[in-house]
Amino acid sequence: MLFLNPLLLWFLLAASIPVVIHLLNRRRHKTIHWAAMQFLLKATRESRGKKKLRHFLILACRTLGLAALIVAAARPIVSGLLGWGGGAIDVVVLVLDRSASMEIKPGDGMNPRRQIVLEKVREAMKNLGSARLVLIDSASGLPQEVPSPDVLAELSSTAATDSSADFATLLTRAAEFLAETPGRAEVWLASDLQTSNWQPENERWAAARASLANLPQKPAVRVLSLTGATAPNASIRLLGSRRAADELLVDLEVSRSADSQVASNLPLTTTINGTRTTETLIVPGQSLRFQKRLALPARSEAGSGWFSIPADGNPRDNAAFFAYGPALPTKSVIVAPAGETADYLALAAAPPGFGNQHTERIDPSQAASLNIAEVSTVLWAAPLPTGAAADQLSRFLAAGGQVICFPPGTPPATPFLELNWGPPTPAEKDKYFILKDWNHNDGPLRDGIDGSPLPADRLKAIRRQIPLGDASQLARWEDGEALLTRRIVDRGTLWFLASTPDYTWSNLGDADVLLPLVQRILALGSERFDASYLTTVGSDATKTLPGQTRSRLDDFGSPDPANDAYLAGIFKLNDRLLAVNRSAAEDAPEILSRDALDAALTGTGYTLLEQAGQASDPSLSRDVWRAFLIAVLCFFLAEALLCLPKKTTVQVIPTLVKAETLKS
Amino acid sequence: MKYDFLDNRLLSRLSTLPIEARVPMMGNVAGKHRSPHRGSSVEFAEYRKYVPGDDTRRLDWKAFARSDRFYIKEFEADTNLRAYFVVDASGSMNFAGRGEAKIQFARRIAASLSYLLVNQGDAAGLSICTNKLHLEVPPSRRAAHLDRLFSTLGALAPSGPTGLLEALHTIAEKVSQRAFVVILSDLFTEPAALGDALQHLRYRKHDISVFHLLDPQELSFEFDRPHRFVDMEDNTALVIEPNLIADEYKAALRDFLTAVRAKCHDAAADYQMVLTDAPLEPLLREFLTARLPKSKH
Repeated sequence: MLFLNPLLLWFLLAASIPVVIHLLNRRRHKTIHWAAMQFLLKATRESRGKKKLRHFLILACRTLGLAALIVAAARPIVSGLLGWGGGAIDVVVLVLDRSASMEIKPGDGMNPRRQIVLEKVREAMKNLGSARLVLIDSASGLPQEVPSPDVLAELSSTAATDSSADFATLLTRAAEFLAETPGRAEVWLASDLQTSNWQPENERWAAARASLANLPQKPAVRVLSLTGATAPNASIRLLGSRRAADELLVDLEVSRSADSQVASNLPLTTTINGTRTTETLIVPGQSLRFQKRLALPARSEAGSGWFSIPADGNPRDNAAFFAYGPALPTKSVIVAPAGETADYLALAAAPPGFGNQHTERIDPSQAASLNIAEVSTVLWAAPLPTGAAADQLSRFLAAGGQVICFPPGTPPATPFLELNWGPPTPAEKDKYFILKDWNHNDGPLRDGIDGSPLPADRLKAIRRQIPLGDASQLARWEDGEALLTRRIVDRGTLWFLASTPDYTWSNLGDADVLLPLVQRILALGSERFDASYLTTVGSDATKTLPGQTRSRLDDFGSPDPANDAYLAGIFKLNDRLLAVNRSAAEDAPEILSRDALDAALTGTGYTLLEQAGQASDPSLSRDVWRAFLIAVLCFFLAEALLCLPKKTTVQVIPTLVKAETLKS
Repeated sequence: MKYDFLDNRLLSRLSTLPIEARVPMMGNVAGKHRSPHRGSSVEFAEYRKYVPGDDTRRLDWKAFARSDRFYIKEFEADTNLRAYFVVDASGSMNFAGRGEAKIQFARRIAASLSYLLVNQGDAAGLSICTNKLHLEVPPSRRAAHLDRLFSTLGALAPSGPTGLLEALHTIAEKVSQRAFVVILSDLFTEPAALGDALQHLRYRKHDISVFHLLDPQELSFEFDRPHRFVDMEDNTALVIEPNLIADEYKAALRDFLTAVRAKCHDAAADYQMVLTDAPLEPLLREFLTARLPKSKH
């Protein structure tokens, strides 16, 4: 607690006046010779307990009332961080969330949450006197001694970044640091409690809690919650980009604040290779996904650019960066015996007119000699691979390739990556296997970017082979059995489809389902070539190897070279071009619930300071003299009530008659 | 005036009121008070049948003429009254809060009533008691006796613990004939023991009057600061914040007064609580008036 007029606190000595008067009164007693002593002795014996307590309460009320009055006059300021119990703390470990979401402003014209909390920490550290301040920022995750709280806001390690945060790991780091630092410590977790940064279900929390619990001196944990109202904000996010010949297909998403219901116009600026164009985007609701085709300059081998929207509540989510390299043909391989299935798959994988798409069929017996270096997708319509072929396919998956398996029509054989086919099953006579439901938001059967669904309900099958094994279902037959499953294998994906484009099986070959399904998987497979130009902040791809240098190519915003590793932008790592964007999780608006926070920090005895992020309270210090004045009133009111005479005072005789005669 | 506790004008105003005994007295000379024996006064008492040996002069011949039976006509015997003033001379009687000292008030009551009694032909005596009955002035009807009584009262110097109870028992034992016992005390003793002493007096058929002397400050117990209370009888001291214990003190005093009244009532004693700041004349006038026989009102 701080005082604006600390000198007035000397008058606190005056609070002892009632006690001094009481003691003086007791010493300055008057001597009186008394006749009715027997009643005095009896009264003295009986008047202990309540009476004395009442007397002491009156004395306490007077003393506390005076003390509160003097404290109020000294204009106390209480720090929300320290509360009333700010005491001798040796070390404060500040775990600072520097993620992109922390740059949102509580209101128009105000500082971002990160700066607000830094200012509050600075003020609070002043109250702690000589306590050490150690910073663990979410971007680097490394403990760093802060020489003075005054320079806290000027450190590059407290500056804004586009990174994400992992609080379980950060808390573990704090515990590791405190294990080597003796003394009374506190851990302050400054965060906007974004669920993606906390991940309360993450198993690392158990390790973090155990690390804290094992410390010789358990630190106090305070969560400085920076939630609450924010300034209006819109964000733009790159969903993906793919080069197709002389065009760059960029999938974008623009999101607005949760309370934005009315359509609005948003200027979208596109900067590609230094050329800037602006167009108006109509955002009908909270979110708009769209694809933008950018015509690339003729014979452009590689390039970069970014999309940006005007500055708003959070300046860190107003740009989406992209980069591209030379156009590469989309190659796929069909492993199937010659026949109807292979023909349909070839048509779907390389439709006539798509010059940059090439496919090749090889016989299953030659699968072991498959050259996967430039292949994006393998369409496997044969018994599951074994031996060398299986190893080759596994390596392909690990490298980011896509493999889609179609039923071979043979009884189950050796599983591949613990997945297998069930036995071929024909439909009942005059009945079909019908696709019942499928995931409209995820997977190759998802709705189009304009929201229109695929006509997958037209799919009918008279024969099927059910995929078995641990994989997520994306589409189901009418009887609940899986039609399409997905298994993520390292960077690649293994798909199983329960029917095959053969009229002895189904009408899958009619192209309503097969073409978009195969094309989308092909696009995914191609991303492993284009993806080398795109990454997110903090990923391994952004890290420089020994001898590498990083240089920034874009001039969006005001880049801080010291934080290049944690910023979104277009970078060149030696010869490698890289567009770095913030993690998609940073745009997720979900805030950690109190229950989830309790679960994550259970056993730490943490204190949640929810007011830390309120726009109306830019500092954690509050003038609390009014509270003391109220306390003064309460104390004196209580004293007056205690001093009130009883309603029924004891009367020795009903009326003080001067003489009374009792007739016997 | 030789004695400051005597007020001539007060005595002259009160002299019109006689002091009456509530019970028949057994004096040694003729007087104005009823005797338990039959005598020769003009006051008719009763008829009774003649028995051999009766004085034939007392036969009611008119009654014989009417009924042809012998009846003796009896008359009340009048005798004088002997009063014992028992004055408590313990240390507590020296207390003078807002009124005058209780002992001074006792002197004024005892002296005034003694004067009135002797003036109407009755005898007045004095018993002074401290921790034991230590001084007695035997009752006498002579006017010259009053001077001795007054000088004894004037020389009283209360001190030490009270010996009232022992004094009352002693009087009850020593005074065999019926007498008028007037007790002047603050009665700061055990009510039960006081009741026993009064019952002892009552058993001896004495007429008892109790003047309970209290200072107004003892009743109100109002103080504005802590006090060191020193016992006037044994000098024990107690430092107390009076406001803290006022209620308990008053409750204890109330219980005491109630008990004392009850004991007086049980012993058929006149009880008068007297505050020492009260004027004496109304007090005595009321006391004397209350003792008048109903038929004489």
